[in-house]
Amino acid sequence: MPNSAGKRFKPTKYIPVSTAATLLVGSTTLFFVFTCPWLTKVISPAVPLYNGLVFLFVLANFSMATFMDPGVYPRADEDEDKDDDFRAPLYKNVEIKGIQVRMKWCATCHFYRPPRCSHCSVCDNCVEDFDHHCPWVNNCIGRRNYRYFFLFLLSLSVHMVGVFSFGLIFVLHHRERLGALHTTVTLVVMCIAGLFFIPVMGLTGFHLVLVARGRTTNEQVTGKFRGGVNPFTKGCCGNVEYVLCSPLAPRYMLDPRKKPHVKIQPPFIRPDLSDRQITIKVSDNGIHGTIISSKSKSSLDDLDDKETQPPLPPKADRYNQLKNQMTSSEESSLSGKTHPSTPAMYKYRPSFGTMPKVHYHTAGEKIVMPDDRKTSAILEEGVRGHDYRSEPNLDLPEYANAPLHRTFQSSPLQLDSDPINSRSLSLKQGHRRPEKGQLSALQPQTVTSTPYKSVFSPNTLSNRNGSLSYDSLLNPSISPSTANECMAHRGMPSMGFHSPYLPTKMCHIREPEIQRQQVASTYSPVMPPRSVGRQSPHPRDRDPSPVRYDNLSQTIMASIQERKEMEEREKRQMLHGRSQTHIYAQDSGVFDGAYGGSRDNLMGVGLVSYGQRTPVLRHAGSTLGRAPRTSSTSLHTDHSPEGPYRSPAHQPHSPAMPRSPSYSHQKLSYISAHERTDSPRLGGPREAMKVNGQMDCHPSAQGATLSPSRHNNVKKVTGVGGTTYEISV
Amino acid sequence: MAETHSLQDMRPQAAVAAKVFIQRDYTNGTVCQFQTKFPSELETRIDKQQFEETVRMLNNLYAEAEKLGSQSYIEGCLACLTAYTVFLCMETHYEKMLKKIAKYIQEQNDKIYAPRGLLLTDPIERGLRVIEVTIFEDRSLTR
Repeated sequence: MPNSAGKRFKPTKYIPVSTAATLLVGSTTLFFVFTCPWLTKVISPAVPLYNGLVFLFVLANFSMATFMDPGVYPRADEDEDKDDDFRAPLYKNVEIKGIQVRMKWCATCHFYRPPRCSHCSVCDNCVEDFDHHCPWVNNCIGRRNYRYFFLFLLSLSVHMVGVFSFGLIFVLHHRERLGALHTTVTLVVMCIAGLFFIPVMGLTGFHLVLVARGRTTNEQVTGKFRGGVNPFTKGCCGNVEYVLCSPLAPRYMLDPRKKPHVKIQPPFIRPDLSDRQITIKVSDNGIHGTIISSKSKSSLDDLDDKETQPPLPPKADRYNQLKNQMTSSEESSLSGKTHPSTPAMYKYRPSFGTMPKVHYHTAGEKIVMPDDRKTSAILEEGVRGHDYRSEPNLDLPEYANAPLHRTFQSSPLQLDSDPINSRSLSLKQGHRRPEKGQLSALQPQTVTSTPYKSVFSPNTLSNRNGSLSYDSLLNPSISPSTANECMAHRGMPSMGFHSPYLPTKMCHIREPEIQRQQVASTYSPVMPPRSVGRQSPHPRDRDPSPVRYDNLSQTIMASIQERKEMEEREKRQMLHGRSQTHIYAQDSGVFDGAYGGSRDNLMGVGLVSYGQRTPVLRHAGSTLGRAPRTSSTSLHTDHSPEGPYRSPAHQPHSPAMPRSPSYSHQKLSYISAHERTDSPRLGGPREAMKVNGQMDCHPSAQGATLSPSRHNNVKKVTGVGGTTYEISV
Repeated sequence: MAETHSLQDMRPQAAVAAKVFIQRDYTNGTVCQFQTKFPSELETRIDKQQFEETVRMLNNLYAEAEKLGSQSYIEGCLACLTAYTVFLCMETHYEKMLKKIAKYIQEQNDKIYAPRGLLLTDPIERGLRVIEVTIFEDRSLTR
């Protein structure tokens, strides 16, 4: 016997199978040759036919049992067991139909053996549904060939019984000539049959029971289900049916077939994150993190429609998850869990975090005119989103500094894709809507809604750095397209951060401040480790806005709307060469109006607008500016479930906005009117605001209540879902 | 020598960044089902729904392959009667389904996964134990 170099040839393992084969074939042949002719003559020709068929069946099953792959598992690739090899436990539990089944690690094959799988030491393979290794067929009996083995046993039993019976008949008829050849041979055959009768019948009976119970030999012998429940049983009939009638299982040890070549070349499509990744910083109560939301674009698109109803409960979880995953920069757990509603938030979320001014500046984008800022300010109240484009120069590091901010990265696509979305977002269906029409209706001199749009959709939304901060809201960066537009209109492209609430002068003043702020920490409102609180140290300081995406949708919509309106107005104003104050005033008016119609969380926006107006008011020397803000702030104090998520009030608008009192007054009246019509919800604060608009003293009263301890520029705005944002005006 | 390959072909394939293995779902016994749980490594690469749809489809195909129906009865009887010589000529139901599954995976790879830098490996190559998802390095991001 040749001994190949690689494989050891063990002849001994072939002895049983050879013996079995020899005995089987030989005996049967002898039977046919010596016994059957007489039987054919005497009894009938059906005898050899019957025996022939049975023998054929036996042979077929024997061959199948011997040569068929029992269901050998190929060895696992290295890549697959990389994790498992070193750190994996020996056993892994899996629950099957309520019963715990243990899967053992196979050191040879490098995987956890599937249930019912066992490693055959003779064959050195893991076999699926391992029954036993049969030496008589020199093969493992597993899933694929168990049926043939079982049928082999059955047919062999039948065959043996047949051969023995017919031989007996022959011998009984030839008793007197037992020494004759035929008789002797028949006797020998009968002996062989008789000899193996007991073991074979025993085995057959054993397997009949196993099949009925749905167990394998291995399981029976090792006592796996002794006293327990077999999770693999399908009932007696089901088990029998499974054994006999199930389709032939596939072979796993296949020849390496030629696989079609799949070309994989970058760049790759990303589901919701494209190359532009927007980081949104969500200010939280001290938890930071970067979350990349991976929402599919489609889901985001869907969100457009559903933006108004982000499911609240999951959001809460999301926030928690955010907290937990602060450090996961790559994968966002959010993305998995946050769901469709989040994209809406992304969409509508202008960036809050950064100082708008700064961003604009660095981005080289158009500086947001005060109007815009107003809009953004207003928007930011409710909106927490990443300002995608509005702050192109959002510097992530800066945001990162904000201890309270979480950075979310969301696909800018979401935001960008819908400039109009901001409008649609607007909750104030009625009033917010439309920007141009309504605005014009409200304020003839107001700018069109373009600014709003520019603030929101392309700009606000496409905040590359994605910090969600009121600042960004306040100063939504204008998208390049709109920026150009704005450029034309705005007279102060060179301005840095322009808070909507601040006059140009203020902007200038604030610029260094802002820069400083930005450098120091992220956006002023956002960056500084503000605790939830609303205190803004600087006028511009805004508390980090807790970005709760689900809270933002409505607010965001509203604010986006507002912003758009403001921008449009602003544009118009610029065209007309109006003074900034006018714009401011108008913007604030617009905002108010917009807010009025929106939900309560829009009140923040309204507040912001008030904030905008504040400078005007202040300019006028009235304290109403502050008062209303504070009052409105108080109004908007919604209990947000997430206490910690206080939106940073926009504080950019320093009170000292130089606005002509008269103009503002005029505007305010518009605003108040608008507000009144718009926001029944606002209720008290609203009225205060309105009053404020009209230079009433109501707000002051309210304001006093609110802001004793805080910066009187701080307004509280309630976002969607009860998140309260503080906007410092 | 004339260059007959397109430049596209000549470009090297993207490098493999990671592999994710979708394990079998044994909650219903040894029926071939794969877990539809979305692995976190793929979160940035593909939609959750898309992926789950693929796995669900595969599960359905495998369930149909293993179904004990009339097809399997007829095949069994025929096989018995012909002493299993029919297996030399005819393809079993399971094998037909496997071909269908292979085609489905190929199509999914071409249409959905390859553009996203992913590659699904037919689980039959792994003994129907795992679906291997190869994540390719996205060089475009590193540029």
